[in-house]
Order: sequence, then C-alpha cells, then structure tokens
Amino acid sequence: MTGMIVSRLIQLPLVLLAIYTATFVLAWAIPGDAVAGDEDKLIDPAVLASIKARYALDDPARFYVEYLDGATGLRWARRSLAGEDAPGPVFDLGPSFTHADWTVNEILASSLGVSITLGLLAVGIALVIGLTAGVIGALRPGSAIDAITLVVALVGVSLPSFVNGTALLMVFPVWLGLGTVGGWGTFADLWLPAFTLSLPYAAYVARLTRLGMIDALRADHVRTARAKGCSAWRVVMKHALKNAFLPVLSYLGPACAFAMTGSFVVEKVFNVPGVGQHFVDAVLGKDLFVIMGVTLVFSALIVTLNLLVDVLYRVVDPRIE
Amino acid sequence: MRSALIVAAAVLTLALAIGFAARPGRPAEFTIIGTNDFFTLDPATMTFSHDLRLSYAIYEQLVRLDNHGDFAPVPGAAESWSISSDGLTYTFRLRENARWSNGDPVTAHDFVFAWRRVLMPDTASRYISFLFHVRGARAFFGWRNEQLTAYREGDGERSAERAAALLDEAFERFEQTVGVRALDDHTLVVELDTPVAYFLDLCSFGVLSPVHPPTIRAHERLSDETGIVEIDAGWTKPGTIVVNGAYVPTRWAFKGGMRLEASPMWWNAEAVVSETIEYVPIEDPNTSVLAHLTGRGDWHMGVTVSYLPDMLERKAAGDEAMQHIHAIAAFGTYFWSFNCRSTLADGRPNPFAEAGVRRAFAMAVDKQRLVDRVRRTGERTTDVFVPPGSIGGYDSPGGLAFDPGGARDQLAQAGWIDRDGDGVPENSAGEPFPTVELLYSTGSYHDDIALAMADMWREALGVQSTLLGKESKLYRDDLRQGEFMLARGGWFGDYGDPTTFLDLNRTGDGNNIRGFSHEPYDTLLEQAARELDPASRMDLLERAEAITMREQVPLIPLWNYNVYYLFDPGDEAAGRAGVTGLTTRPRTIQYFFELGAAGAEAAR
Repeated sequence: MTGMIVSRLIQLPLVLLAIYTATFVLAWAIPGDAVAGDEDKLIDPAVLASIKARYALDDPARFYVEYLDGATGLRWARRSLAGEDAPGPVFDLGPSFTHADWTVNEILASSLGVSITLGLLAVGIALVIGLTAGVIGALRPGSAIDAITLVVALVGVSLPSFVNGTALLMVFPVWLGLGTVGGWGTFADLWLPAFTLSLPYAAYVARLTRLGMIDALRADHVRTARAKGCSAWRVVMKHALKNAFLPVLSYLGPACAFAMTGSFVVEKVFNVPGVGQHFVDAVLGKDLFVIMGVTLVFSALIVTLNLLVDVLYRVVDPRIE
Repeated sequence: MRSALIVAAAVLTLALAIGFAARPGRPAEFTIIGTNDFFTLDPATMTFSHDLRLSYAIYEQLVRLDNHGDFAPVPGAAESWSISSDGLTYTFRLRENARWSNGDPVTAHDFVFAWRRVLMPDTASRYISFLFHVRGARAFFGWRNEQLTAYREGDGERSAERAAALLDEAFERFEQTVGVRALDDHTLVVELDTPVAYFLDLCSFGVLSPVHPPTIRAHERLSDETGIVEIDAGWTKPGTIVVNGAYVPTRWAFKGGMRLEASPMWWNAEAVVSETIEYVPIEDPNTSVLAHLTGRGDWHMGVTVSYLPDMLERKAAGDEAMQHIHAIAAFGTYFWSFNCRSTLADGRPNPFAEAGVRRAFAMAVDKQRLVDRVRRTGERTTDVFVPPGSIGGYDSPGGLAFDPGGARDQLAQAGWIDRDGDGVPENSAGEPFPTVELLYSTGSYHDDIALAMADMWREALGVQSTLLGKESKLYRDDLRQGEFMLARGGWFGDYGDPTTFLDLNRTGDGNNIRGFSHEPYDTLLEQAARELDPASRMDLLERAEAITMREQVPLIPLWNYNVYYLFDPGDEAAGRAGVTGLTTRPRTIQYFFELGAAGAEAAR
C-alpha cells in the first residue's frame, strides 16, 4: 500500500501540470477581452495596453511561464533565497481582474473553507438519510415505505438544486420563519443549503445501500448469523450493512469532491460565499487568474480525495490489494 | 459497519471543525442589500456604480451634490471655492478640521497626490478623461505612457534605477506642466485648458476622491520589468485603509459583506444618522428580494427579479405586502444604436448611412407599447438622449415621436420604395432592403425588445430583421469593431451636464461606437465648450441634441432607465416614518450618512 501511495504522490504534480496546461489553453480560448470589463463604457486603448503588459496578457507564452512560476512557489523560493524582504505568498495564484482588491489566494482562503464545510456536511447528511432509507427499503422490499423512499430518491436525483433550494427557501425562512435568507455565519444558515445539496447524493446512497443490502441479506453468512441467534439489529448492522456499504464508500470519494466543488447552484440560491459561484463568475468574466487558480486547487483537492478513498477502501476491505 | 459510522462521524466533525468563514457581528443600525460585492475600494480605478456609491460614504470629495434638490455643488472637503472670471482657475479652500480616519489632517497635497495618481497610466484609471480638462493633464498622461512603452519595448536597459529615474522625471514633469497644485496645506488651485461649466460637478465624482499618501506609498512597488508603479491591493483592507469620509470599513469578507462604522474623525460626524451600516451582497436576484422581504435589510439597492412587473402591479393594486417596491428614475437612457458608417464591416453598403432611413426606423417604433407590453416595469419612454428634467437649466429639445405613416414616407424619400409589390421596399436599382441584423447581449430582456421592434418594422416598413444575440464580451468586441447594423445600448450619465450624453455622438469619441460623424453637431459642441454664459451654453447644447434627435438620429432612444429599490416607505396615516434619507431624484446619488431606519425598525 505504501508503494501505491508513493507512486500516486509522484503522479500528482504531473496530473496537475496537465490540468494546468489544458485549463490555460481553454481559458485563453474564451473569446472576449479579459480586462475590458462589461460596462457600457469603453476603456482608453493606452490604459488597456498598460494593464495587459502588467499581467503578461499581451503574450500567452510569457503568461504560461510566469503564472507557473508564481503558482508553484518557484518565484517565492527565488525571492527568498535572494533575501528579499517581502517575497510574497509561497503559492502565488495571482490577482483577480474583476475583484481588483483581492488576490486569488485571498479569495480561496475565504471561500474554500466554506465550500468544504458545506460539501462535507451535505455528504454527511446524505449518508445519514441515504443509509437509513436504503436499509429500511431493503428490509421491506416492495412495501409502502420502500415505495416512498424510491419516490423521494427519484425526486432528489431528478430535480435541480435551484428548484429544491428555492422551494426550501420559500417554505422554511419565508413562510415558517425558520432560518434566514441569504445569510451565512451561524448553524441556522448552514443546514438548509447543506440539506439541499445533500438531496441528490442521499438519493444515490439510498439506492446503492438498498441494492447492496438486498444482496447481502440473502448471503450465506447472514443466514448463518441468524441461525446462531444474533439479534435482528446485529444481523443488519454488523453482518449485512458492512458488505452493503462498500459500493457506498467507493461513491463517497467523488461525491465529496463534487459536493465541495460543484455546489455553485446551491451557493447562488442561498448566497453562500463559497468557491463555486466565484468560479462560474470568473469564467463568465474571463477572470484568468481566478479560473487558473481555482482549477488548480480544485484539481489538487479531487486528486487527493481519490487517493484518500483508495486508501480507505483497502482499510475497510482487506480483500482488496 | 463501525467504520461506516466512523467515516460519517468524521465527515460531520470535520465539516463543523472547519467552521465558518464569517461570523455575523451585532446587527447594524442600517442594513443595505446589494446584488454585487464591491469590486474595489480604490477610488482611482472605480467604474461600477455601487463602488462609486461607496466612495461617497468612505471618502469625501472636494464638493458634494445637493442630491435632494437640483444637484447644485455644496461644500465637501472644501469649505469654499472661487472661480476666476475666465472660468479657467478654481481655487478651493479646504476645511482646517478635515481629518483622515487615523487623525492626520486632510490637506491640499493629498488631493494633488490622488489626482496625479489618477493621471498616471500606471494606475489604469478608466475615468482618466475627467481630468483631461486640467491644463497639461492629457499631455502628461500621453508622455508618461510613451515613456513606459519605450521602457517596455525598447532596447534600453531595464533596471530598478532606470525605472526609478523615469518615475522621478514623471513627478517633476507633473509639477511643472499639470495645472494642479497646493498653494499651502489648505488651498488647492486647479487650472483648466478650457472653461468647463460642470467642473465642480466633476470634483464631486468618486474617482477624484483624495487618498491617504502614506498608506498608498507603503503599498506601492516599482516594477523594473515594466517600469510601472504597481500597487498591492491589500491597502484597501479594513485595518489598513485610511479614509476621509463619514464611514470607515471595519469588516470586509470577499462576497461576505462589509461593515461600515461612523468615523469619529469626520468633521461632520454629528450629521451621521446611522452609526453602523452593514452591506450584504446577494447575487441571486430572487434570494436578495426574499432576504429583504424577510426583514434582513432596510434598503435593497437594485431589484432585478423576473417577477418585478408583478410586484409593481401588485403595489399599484394596493397590495400591502408590496408597498416596499419603488421605481426610481435613473440618470440613464436605453437605446439602440445605428451603425452610421458608409459600409458595413463585411464591405456591404450600409443602408443606415442615410439619415432618412434612420429616421424611418426610429419613427416606426411604438415605445409606449414596448414599455407597456414587453418591459412592464413602468419606464418613461423618451424621444431624446439626455433624460428630460435631470439637469437644471437644460430644456429637452424633443425628438421623433411614433408615426408609422411618417416613417414610411421617410423611407420612400430615402429611395426605398416597394417597387415590385412584394411588400419589401427596394432601392432604385431594384435591390430589396437588406435583412436588418439586431445585435444584443444575451441574458437580459434585449431579445424581447429586438423581437418586438422587428415586428414593428416589418409592419410599418416591410423590412425583415434577424436577431443576433451574443455573449456580452463578444457583443462588446463587435461594438468596438463596428460589426453590426443595429445594436442595443445603454448609457448612464457620469456628471450633471448634457455633454455626459452628447459627447457619445461626437466625431471620434471613444464611446462613439456608431461611427457617427456630423460636422454641424461637432461645431455646436465646440461652441458650447467655449461659451462662458451658462444659459447660452445650454442653448447651444439643446440645438446640438435637436440635430441628433430630430434629423440625424444616430440612435433610437427608447426609455429612461429606472432603478428599483425595496425599502419601507413608512405609514403617514399611522404617523410612522420608514426608511429616511433616500432621495428619489433622477441621479440616484445616495449619501449613506443620511440614511436611517429608526421608523422601519420600530415596525418590525
């Protein structure tokens, strides 16, 4: 296992470099001017030229190299070695054009934690709901309660978050007065977006669990457990669910990654200051540094999470080599 | 199974352990909901209206405008001023008791420093042309720009020493050639190239706010690669930023809101109504409205939800729940531009080069119908470019009204007549009128407007049109390159003078994407620029606008924009005040220090 981890860690920078290059090509291919802005007022050409020179926007090759230089920490290392007083941040992901007062580092620092909190909480809720619904469904297949979880799961998977989210926003804060609209910072602000975000994952976990459980409950070792007189609870929780959980676990890695990085619709509807919506805004506004920086950090996150799940998988199921 | 529970528990604990990025402080006395975070607190590079609005809260400019009245200049950082008889020299007397938020006195030198910074191409200020009226300013900008280009692209050596020498030279040149100087700590003298009747109005503009020189200097860095003075944007962060206005930003999280606290150093601190103001940016239009309706904010700065027409209709019908929505006339005009060049970008002859054709198209648009049936948000239709009633002393000349019959006559006089009876007009060579392309940016209501206008033109003139919706950056590229026949446009005035609109049709103006050029119009604008008597000057400008709106018609004005606020208007019958201090005058200049919500709080 150590060998696997080491080789994956060696691959990591190469994967990131490939992603960086692909993002660079795509981001530069976005039509339109990065600095010109969207307002109806046009900028003086001389001013435009001076901004472009400053950020190496007049020369893609220079941009590619200079950005890599800053983002990988090489520039910082050089400046530190040269004994400069202020070598800047270690990994310098550049400035934002549209939000000129913030660097991409600051933007990520303020919003990455938010997205991770929201994503992890959503996956946590999804696990609780999904496992419970899946187990109940498997114990009484074809019953009314199974049908209900099936319908709820179907709704959870099919309805887009902006519908679910808006509906929940209308029901809870607006009609019932529970929680706030567009707030962030207290636990009350957190549960509604997290719940909305969890719905599609919960639905998927429920279906995975149900299928796994139905198989597991028919397995020989479960029958043996029943025969030797284990309590029904113990049979389900210890003997059946442990096996049924494996497909769920392998789904958790990508689910965590998606929930953390792909929550922009939920972030928009609930006004959660996470990374997702900044990233979408950045692409629309061709905010090059933000696009590059966020993609790099997200990629690193996803690659790491996948590695983590692979390790966990081996821990949970010793049969896997 | 235990491992599953452990994983779930770990995930939840981690989520909560990472915690929250922003914690709410105590509620502010006044809460504003906006649809965007502020982009920058650096006045020199501000362009967006909500940034500029903030600049009036945290900085104090030389003068302020009487926003509840006729926008006359009233004392700001300058307590008085005098203008020389030739209208070229302005002498401002600054308040002795004006202080920066760290206690330093606000001096004339700070203004010189700030204006020089705006004028340096290094700063890349978008509103630089505002200062080009100052003697020597345009030449100084051009000179420094050339020097930088030569440094960047020339063969000379690029070193810290040479960059520093260039900068010193620039500062020296500024002092010698640009007409802004501090006579003493509290006297600022500004000399202009030509008289500018609205110069005081310009002095109230956020971009010309003073900045605190020591703070800026501490964050500047001279790049030896480009020779440009770069600034570390960190200077605008709470705790670091030093301001001279009514409020100091004390908390600002990226897209997570800003807290403003009244500056005890502001000379006029007693006038501040709300000691603390919270700004909450909510980008999703629906969420932001729901946030207001559930009592999170006192004033919502810009409602853009798709159900806005229904809100307005419900308010008009007396719905109690919708009394918070208000349509406020803004200082802007929605219009469609003609490409006025003789040929189109692809080389085809341009039928709209002919003023008669443009008049025909303008007269065939039933604007009231567009507002009533398509927009449904109660804008005032207009036949002129400068919003009527928004500028004291300026009488709108009026333009071309809806007249489909007259439109047909105009088109016929321009040589486009239906010669073969197929309903489509042809020119004398028998060529049918080309299909009109309507360029607009997608994602808004412009497609609905374009469709409705296409219908009106087909009905009145027999002309076919096609819609060309593009993503906004592409749309803007096309505009810049003149690749369009008709394109949607919008313009908000920057200062209280007709020229803030009329300059757009001047030959060679940077924003004249129409390629419109008409000598008598340019001449009238030039004459007006030289005219010292305010009444005669307005007269000349009225004549100029009349030329463009009645004869030449480089654009079809459709309506004056509204902005839509949500705020508690109070209840007069019950003797309860709502939100106070907001003005509904057309330029929608709001000074935060005047805003109060005591009455609105009581109602909640």
